[in-house]
Amino acid sequence: MPLSMVKAGEENTIKRVGGKADTKRFLESLGFVVGAVVTVVSEISGNMIVNIKESRVAIDKDMANKILV
Amino acid sequence: MAITIALAGNPNCGKTTLFNAMTGSNQFVGNWPGVTVEKKEGKLKGHKDVRIMDLPGVYSLSPYTLEEVVTRNYLISERPDVILNIVDGTNIERNLYLTTQLMELGIPVVMAVNMMDLVAKNGDRLHINQLSKKLGCPVVEISALKGTGIKEAADLVVATANSKDKMLPVHKFGNELEAILNKVESKLGAEVKEEQKRFFAIKLLESDEKLPELLEYVPDITKEIEEIEEQLDDDAESIVTNERYQYISSIIKSCYEKKERTNNQTLSDKIDKIVTNRILALPIFAAIMFLVYYVSVTTVGTWATDWANDGVFGEGWSLFGLDIPGIPVLVENLLTSIGCADWLQSLILDGIIGGVGAVLGFVPQMMILFIFLAFLEACGYMARVAFIMDRVFRKFGLSGKSFIPMLIGSGCGVPGIMASRTIESDRDRKMTIMTTTFIPCGAKLPIIALIAGALFDGAWWVAPSAYFVGIAAVVCSGIILKKTKLFAGDVAPFVMELPAYHMPTITNVMRSMWERASSFVKKAGTIILLSTIVIWFLQNFGFTSGSFAMVEDMNDSLLAAIGGVIAPIFAPLGWGNWKFASAAITGLIAKENVVGTFGVLYGFGEVAEDGVEIWGSLASSVSATAAYSFLVFNLLCAPCFAAMGAIKREMNNTKWFLIAIGYQTGLAYVVSLVIYQVGTVFASRNVSIGTVTTALVVIAAVSGIIATMARDRKAGKSIQCGCDCKDCGGGCH
Repeated sequence: MPLSMVKAGEENTIKRVGGKADTKRFLESLGFVVGAVVTVVSEISGNMIVNIKESRVAIDKDMANKILV
Repeated sequence: MAITIALAGNPNCGKTTLFNAMTGSNQFVGNWPGVTVEKKEGKLKGHKDVRIMDLPGVYSLSPYTLEEVVTRNYLISERPDVILNIVDGTNIERNLYLTTQLMELGIPVVMAVNMMDLVAKNGDRLHINQLSKKLGCPVVEISALKGTGIKEAADLVVATANSKDKMLPVHKFGNELEAILNKVESKLGAEVKEEQKRFFAIKLLESDEKLPELLEYVPDITKEIEEIEEQLDDDAESIVTNERYQYISSIIKSCYEKKERTNNQTLSDKIDKIVTNRILALPIFAAIMFLVYYVSVTTVGTWATDWANDGVFGEGWSLFGLDIPGIPVLVENLLTSIGCADWLQSLILDGIIGGVGAVLGFVPQMMILFIFLAFLEACGYMARVAFIMDRVFRKFGLSGKSFIPMLIGSGCGVPGIMASRTIESDRDRKMTIMTTTFIPCGAKLPIIALIAGALFDGAWWVAPSAYFVGIAAVVCSGIILKKTKLFAGDVAPFVMELPAYHMPTITNVMRSMWERASSFVKKAGTIILLSTIVIWFLQNFGFTSGSFAMVEDMNDSLLAAIGGVIAPIFAPLGWGNWKFASAAITGLIAKENVVGTFGVLYGFGEVAEDGVEIWGSLASSVSATAAYSFLVFNLLCAPCFAAMGAIKREMNNTKWFLIAIGYQTGLAYVVSLVIYQVGTVFASRNVSIGTVTTALVVIAAVSGIIATMARDRKAGKSIQCGCDCKDCGGGCH
């Protein structure tokens, strides 16, 4: 399911990162790769703050839709 | 021997702090990712021949962001003698992603692991000897904030540079990938040096679009890409990324001992849970902003501005009962005592000190505001604000990061425009610069007070309506500009690292405040100085009784003549009167000058801030609708010279500067025209051809905007998930 549907506090493993090549590459350099553990810290109307590889990253809803867990 | 050191690392890893510690230079340290977009250079303390380049913070060497392109091009084409890679010890896995790429460049790398104090505090252990062996580069522990280990790091870097070792990357990927990389390396042209081969081979496999700019000969490796994709059942780019992370986790396993945590939540997580909570986020944000605004603009800020404007640049002020005369008084006495010519005295007092002083008067207030903003930035909250506001701003084509400049802009447009620098996306930044000054700044308040008092009997709604017009102008501009060729394309996706909350050091906050305030003061000394002299000249010189001379009566001045020439342009706006036109021109120096000019033109000399003396004359010369149209024009048109200077500087491009100013003035003209024409119909119920034309234009424009918005909405959905949203209930698969 897309990351955007995950509830705050849940821990998930990334299964796929979609989106345009540029965006995908950027997400990967931030640690969003297949197999990485991602935790949702908080969510406001689709935009989320997630924990990934010991850092916090804010992503918007469109991006969160493209990350499958 | 001269050595060049390049400082590279992730954003927010303490790179700028280390740079300052190594060079001792004064630079801003903040928490916004990408704050060091410019290349910074310094000399290593105690080594005159060692140059340090502070490269922008990047997460990788792919050409995704502007920072990455800058960093990468520098490293590949300039080839510094050594790279000092600074790494955040608390987030070593992600940081090593960049390190492994730096190692492939064939330039000697020294790694400095920062925030080791925090690692120890967490109870974790990092074995740097083991790390150094695995990575094949020297590693040192430092704490940039506390200043420990920096000397050792510097010595190690210099020693490494002097040893002239080529330093080939030692890390190896999986066998299949290595085999393919060997094949690709053998296909590279002869111009590629041995130590750079691996970098280019990997970039070729990743089908890097910018390679043709870096390589003379780009070999065709379609076959190799097909081969590896078939073997590992994935696209080549993902294969490289995954292998890289796998290699990194293998290093981490052997070098990093992580203490089992009973509670997984860090302090930052806990704070984020509250301040970015879906219910509490906006109220907390509003409360913080109210406090900042209240202190820096209304209470302490007003005292500071009054002191500066009426005291230092006015009659004088008293310190512990001691009367200190204002600068104008002092200068006047001095000039009179040396018998200075009248015209020169007028130039210095009314022109230069009056004009520059009016602008400098805002400096104390701005400094207070900057301290707050620097604190919010450095502690990490500002990054969260961008996140909270993004949802709202995205709707009209701006990013959440555009909010900060507008908020500051409600105090003064100059720092507001300067604050746009923290927006990474070029498109979003330009759009923010163009729209920030629509929000009424402090200097526009006297104009509002004047119009409200003179023609609306001080009606309560005039001032709020000015803010409403400003906000509406921002929103509409976002929607309109998004449709133009200049800003076509999607809004950049919002992905931003949120730094951990921490207490900023006083030095860093002060440094940041000073950098902003001083660049404003510098501007006051140059562009504003020049423009005040020009306006003073126009105000005081003219043709009287057939000859060109200094004039007593402003009605004879060049300014009045120019006002008379351009006045007809404003006739459709309802105020085609040279006095109004001239007032609008003087508003370009500083907006509050509009009121002062009216005072002079209507023969009252000095007037109060809200121009109460001239209310009567003003009311008798134009209708209420025309006055409101004048107000709106002044709110939206090209800002004062100081703000225009800031726009020029931040756009860093004359064409874009002209586009911004032209757009602002054009929009102001159209909106005022509509207000006057439509307002006149309501007021008099007289329909002229002009009104009909205006009404038609407005209807066409509004329906055009609505139509494109509706179309976008439809199109946007299908692009987003590729399925009909009714079927999947909003959750796109």
